[in-house]
Amino acid sequence: MSNWQVIVRLLKLARPHWQWLSVGILLSVITLLANIALLSVAGWFIAAMAAAGIAGVSINYFTPSGVIRFLAIVRTVGRYAERLVTHNATFLMLAHLRHWFYQKLEPLAPAGLHQYRSSDLLSRLQADIEQLDNFYLRIALPVIVALISVPIIYSVSAYYYLPVALLLLLSLIATGVVLPAWVAKTSQKSGARISDQQEQLSSAMIEGLQGMRELEIYGASEQQKAHVVRCSEQLSATQTQLNNVNANGQSASLAIINLCMWGSLILLSGAVVGGHIQSGELIMLLLLVIGAFEAVLPLPLAFEQLASTLAAAKRLFQLADQEPVRVEPVQAQPIDHLASHNQLDITINQLSFCYPNAEHAALSNFSFEVKQGEKIALTGKSGSGKSTIVQLLQGFYPCDRGAISIGGIDINDCAGEALRQQISLVSQTCYLFSASIRDNLLLANPKATDQELAAACEIAGAIDFIDALPQGLDTWLGETGKGLSGGQARRIHIAQALLKNSPILILDEPTEGLDPITEQSVMAAIWQLMADKTVILITHNPRLLKAVDRVYSLS
Amino acid sequence: MSTKSDKAQLVASKKWLKLQKSLAGNSLTASVVLSIGAGLCLIGQSAVLAYVVNQVVFLERQWQQLNSWLLLLIALILLRVLLVKYTEKLAFKGANKIKLQLRETLYQKLQVLGPAYVDQQHSAALAQLLHQGVDSLEAYYAKYLPAVAFCAIIPLAILAIVFPVDWRTAIIFFVTAPLIPMFMILIGLKSEKLNQQHWQKLSRMSNHFLDVLQGMSHLKLFNASRAEAAAIAKIADGYRRSTMSILKIAFLSSFALEFLATLSVAMVAVTVGFRLYWGELDFAIGFMMLLLAPEFYLPFRNLGTQYHAKMKGVAAAEQMLEIINAQPLQTGSSLFQTGQPETGNSASGTGQRFEIEYKNVSFEYAAQRKALKSVSLKIDQPDMYAFVGPSGAGKSTLIDLLLGFLSPSQGEILVNQQSLATLDRKSWQQHLAWVPQNPQLIFASLLENIQLANPNASVEQVKQAAHLAGVDQFVDNFKEGWQHPITEQGGGVSGGQKQRIAMARVFLKDAPILILDEPSAHLDAETEAWLKRTLKAYAKDHYVFIVAHRLHSIVDCNAIFVLDDGQIVAQGSHTQLLDSSDLYQHLFAASNTYNERAKTEGTADE
Repeated sequence: MSNWQVIVRLLKLARPHWQWLSVGILLSVITLLANIALLSVAGWFIAAMAAAGIAGVSINYFTPSGVIRFLAIVRTVGRYAERLVTHNATFLMLAHLRHWFYQKLEPLAPAGLHQYRSSDLLSRLQADIEQLDNFYLRIALPVIVALISVPIIYSVSAYYYLPVALLLLLSLIATGVVLPAWVAKTSQKSGARISDQQEQLSSAMIEGLQGMRELEIYGASEQQKAHVVRCSEQLSATQTQLNNVNANGQSASLAIINLCMWGSLILLSGAVVGGHIQSGELIMLLLLVIGAFEAVLPLPLAFEQLASTLAAAKRLFQLADQEPVRVEPVQAQPIDHLASHNQLDITINQLSFCYPNAEHAALSNFSFEVKQGEKIALTGKSGSGKSTIVQLLQGFYPCDRGAISIGGIDINDCAGEALRQQISLVSQTCYLFSASIRDNLLLANPKATDQELAAACEIAGAIDFIDALPQGLDTWLGETGKGLSGGQARRIHIAQALLKNSPILILDEPTEGLDPITEQSVMAAIWQLMADKTVILITHNPRLLKAVDRVYSLS
Repeated sequence: MSTKSDKAQLVASKKWLKLQKSLAGNSLTASVVLSIGAGLCLIGQSAVLAYVVNQVVFLERQWQQLNSWLLLLIALILLRVLLVKYTEKLAFKGANKIKLQLRETLYQKLQVLGPAYVDQQHSAALAQLLHQGVDSLEAYYAKYLPAVAFCAIIPLAILAIVFPVDWRTAIIFFVTAPLIPMFMILIGLKSEKLNQQHWQKLSRMSNHFLDVLQGMSHLKLFNASRAEAAAIAKIADGYRRSTMSILKIAFLSSFALEFLATLSVAMVAVTVGFRLYWGELDFAIGFMMLLLAPEFYLPFRNLGTQYHAKMKGVAAAEQMLEIINAQPLQTGSSLFQTGQPETGNSASGTGQRFEIEYKNVSFEYAAQRKALKSVSLKIDQPDMYAFVGPSGAGKSTLIDLLLGFLSPSQGEILVNQQSLATLDRKSWQQHLAWVPQNPQLIFASLLENIQLANPNASVEQVKQAAHLAGVDQFVDNFKEGWQHPITEQGGGVSGGQKQRIAMARVFLKDAPILILDEPSAHLDAETEAWLKRTLKAYAKDHYVFIVAHRLHSIVDCNAIFVLDDGQIVAQGSHTQLLDSSDLYQHLFAASNTYNERAKTEGTADE
């Protein structure tokens, strides 16, 4: 994707809110021009008044002083309105962008998000979206405003005296385009280095803090501290380089603005003598030159943001443009009626599977069968494909070689949602949302009553600790269920599975990551959960293994 | 928390921030001086410009006749450009100095506060504060503080110059100037709060989005993922509505400021115009007034834009101040005054005899949280000693006390009848070796990582220790062998290998006392069996303390201490405890599941 294509796509994304966006641009242009006009008219006014005073002629001063007041009000009120409108437009875009992106992403998950598994990368994704939030306010708006107002400024000044207009135009281009481009180019190298150095500093510090006991015991604390200080100094040296480039850029732009004014003064003086302009117009044009640079002052910042915004947009578009790994069938076969007829048997026949872009097959020629109500276990070393089966059963990937069928229907012919309707999952990787415990439970069954919630928590053994919380079910869970122990979180997942009450239950290492005592007590809840269900159990826990009808070993 | 103490905290952190200015040396002051010089240049520039324009427009001079004035003008311009450039650079330099020193100071203070404090405050959060938090002070020192100084000086300077030449304009400035800070304070007070709400809302919305992305496959499982799209749109729109209502007010402050400034400029222009018309004023002066009017208000407007730099700086300072003011986690006697341990410093710890006694030792982290309740125990033979119990029973606290990172709230720990609290921490720790759950490697070569334990050891000795620990089995896997550089986060060394490096350190240091925290947690069966054999042999002539969850690794211990809720509830050998302690039985039964599992898995998690 070329940069231009990215920009065009970004602008297209802004289309639904084009009215707000254009009003924002219009207001910005008006405010900017009002300010320049205010300065120029004021200059012209005092010159005209002085000239009239010297000549002793009368002058209509009501109109210009009225214009000055009017422009002053347009300037300030316009600025306030502009800020409100542009911010509103930004937030509208932000909401739209998130919604759009989520809708693009939803059909892809989880298979399409495979490379974003770590929370680190997800945070980067998040940062990318936030970067785009600023596209309108920081980049599009100042650039468009400059593109509209600079020709206007040029035309007005050219109408009076072309040489000054040309000098002004060149200077505007130099400060608005050439200088920022030079700064961006010069700081490219340091900019690339800085993220490495930031990472180094962070890890040096985390090592020093997490390993403090050991470092102290071996007397290596000073050594680590020296390393931290060194990383900090290296980072700061690069930051200084970047700042120096910026400071040079800023002072260069100050120099251009003032030299342009100086040059204009000489040109205009010549023009007065040559009779090209009147003397009052000299002052007006001089102030116009000084004021005109406001049109390009936000451009360096826009330039600075442009590269990172385009990179962020590219990453997001690439992600959003992926084809879903599993295409939903055109005519989905219904399976929800099968459970009540006791026909929900699962058959896996000669199944082989290789993840997209993976070199080695995750599964090869695997077969098993579970009748409805049977309980089976899958064992095998890590990497033997147990979790792959869980992914495939949930309809996250298509089965290419071999087949999985449920109730005799190939799951490739089932709608993903219909399939997942029949399945509950309890695993170590299950997630709790930043929401109340109640909301997390209701996710499994939005229609559940309070009694049903309480009953599920009771069986899952979660009721005691929930009741002990001051806000009970309404307790807010922080980031990934922070505030709950591993055992408590697992119990909530068990309660979710109870509430969903689907005929098929998949348990993927349901006791993994729990300490021995908690493990024992959670197990009791798992027995309850397994009753009357078709169970596929993935575990190494010998006690759980005792409870199944058959054990399949993967290799 | 009451708002009063919040306010006191805010005031304290603002004060502290200002105090740190001295760390920058002269750079910040020099930067402010230069920026004032630049401001004066600007005033001079306006005067010369007004003079030249007057000469051309009203006295009909040609610009060639004004050469020297035009040269003066360009000289002033170039001087100002230079001054502005160095103002920026110096301000940044000063801010940078402060940042570097603060980061070092904070890190040093954390070392003093010790690992128990770091654990409590979460190392990742502390690292974030020391990195990004300290960096956020840059804008405070390099932008906000100079803007404040500029605000205090430039308007006054302009006023001082304007007053003698045109007192009427000076009065317009003089009357409107105090209105500006007044408006800023009035509206600023309200908008500060509103602004905070705005940022909170923004981060809440961002977090929700991240949350949904992270839990997407879970949402899919409940077929709730499509419905979530509507929720995302709703939350973002709600954010927009509430933020806009906040901004309507928050923008008022800058509106008032601009309104005043612009109106005053217009007023100056109109009054100057009339006085010129009536012949009461020289045009050069009038024009200069018009040029200076916007510059008079500019510093105030700049200050407004640095508002966030200030907010962020103060917020970071509040957290830093917490660290600076924190007391090391200790009560009672002062920790480890100078003094030498009785045993002296013999070259080898093998066979050295110690008597370690906990006498009614209690420890509390905070007023209500008793981690240890009057624990007593005595050890005098070299052997393997184990501490078991459910999590939160106080095992780690007991060990941290022995390591010297904490000192008892009540009671004392005696080493050879001498209170540990009277020993120098550094010299006491020379008798200790420590292997944590996840051994830490430092940014150096593999060899140096082992040598760490005894910097005086020869390369031969290091390799000998490495051989005992089995490090030489895998050293050839690395391209650079012993010189293999350990980069970030233990780069390229597996959990089992780390444990072997940690054991090599133990052998090299040969300290009489070895403490291990859950040594077999991340090991494969083979390494675990090796470690068990090695420790057993080592315990013949060393004191070995093991904190364990997985009880099968300590069944051979002669002395096992069972902790529950901060107390030692039972002690004895494995067989004795199986008979006498319900808790131990329970722990053992539970941990057996782990055992069997480890066998079925063959090689356990890496």
